[in-house]
Amino acid sequence: MTNRWNRLLAAPLLALLALLAFAGPASASGESVGSCMAEKLEELIEESHGDLEEVLHELHVDTSIGDHFEKNCIEAPSPILPETNEIIWGGSAFLILFVLMVKKGFPAVRGAMDARAEKIRSDLDAAEQARVDAQSVQSDYEARLADAKTEASQLIDEARVAADQLKGDLAESAEVDIAEMRERAAVDIESSRAQAIADLRSEVAGIALGAAERVVHASLDAEVQSRLIDAYIDEVAGTDG
Amino acid sequence: MADSRVAGYAEALFAVAAAEGDPSAVEDELFRFAQALRSDKDLGSTLADTGLPLARRLQVIEDLLGSRVSAVTTALVSMVVGAGRAAELPDIVDAMVERGAASRNKTVATVRSAVDLTADQSERLAAAINTRTGRDVEVRVVIDPSVLGGVVTEIGDDIIDGSVRRRLNQLRESFR
Repeated sequence: MTNRWNRLLAAPLLALLALLAFAGPASASGESVGSCMAEKLEELIEESHGDLEEVLHELHVDTSIGDHFEKNCIEAPSPILPETNEIIWGGSAFLILFVLMVKKGFPAVRGAMDARAEKIRSDLDAAEQARVDAQSVQSDYEARLADAKTEASQLIDEARVAADQLKGDLAESAEVDIAEMRERAAVDIESSRAQAIADLRSEVAGIALGAAERVVHASLDAEVQSRLIDAYIDEVAGTDG
Repeated sequence: MADSRVAGYAEALFAVAAAEGDPSAVEDELFRFAQALRSDKDLGSTLADTGLPLARRLQVIEDLLGSRVSAVTTALVSMVVGAGRAAELPDIVDAMVERGAASRNKTVATVRSAVDLTADQSERLAAAINTRTGRDVEVRVVIDPSVLGGVVTEIGDDIIDGSVRRRLNQLRESFR
């Protein structure tokens, strides 16, 4: 706070020094060039004891005297310091302006600057927060991406293992099926062979029996039939021996 | 219901045959006609066909039996056919034969043979069955060519098979 007041007080002093240092030549206030030169000329006449002719002659012979007049009358007596009234008015105006600035302008400017600084700080904080959030999101995204990649790799591995397992199971099942089919085929072949043999045997038996039946039927005349009946009667009676 | 009806008709037929004096002969003729109905499906269906006029069916009976059997037998068959029970006639006759045998304290022995048995053979067979089973039987012969030769006797649920067909079947089984 003190440093700030020091800087505030140094500012008008520096301005005053600059004004004194860079002030341009100014004509004498309230004094014309003619009156100045007349005053100088009177001083020369007094030095020449009232001899005007001698003075003019010297001015005509010695041009440096004229230059001296011009130099002392045309140029301001002080090239640095302004006139006193200018200093008073200027200083008063400066003080008034300074007081106004200290009392009114500076608090407003300081409030605006503080608000601006606060806003910038808030924006910086928000930007930092946004950056942190973005970084968090990026980290989260990268983590999720890494998880996704890991999960995808795991799924691929599992799918590969499952495919290998399925392939093995299918191959094993196929072998079992083939073995069962071979076994069934063997059983079917054996059954068909047995059935064919049975059919052939039945067919042969049928043919043989048909032939035997025809022979028997041809041989069963009335006498044979009667003897068969008699033999049956004896068999039923239990007297056939 | 069907059994009681068959028994009723059998009792009626037996009563008529007995009233006419020779039930055994009538039973024998009816038995042979019943076997003919069993073996000839067309004859059985013709007599049972109610779409045919009754006079036509009775004429068929008269043509078949008129000169071959007694008038009582023809009249009994005509009575059963006229009553619309031609399809049940074989069962009625079987029941009547059983009823007649029972009235004589005997059992019916149905004998299947490819040829008819002589009276002597029938008597000796009845005696042989009596000897074997202890039952007094009346032999009813059924001509069955499928027997080929020999005899198959059925007495109730008992069967005494001495046919050539059985021996051929045994031979067929031995081939298997």
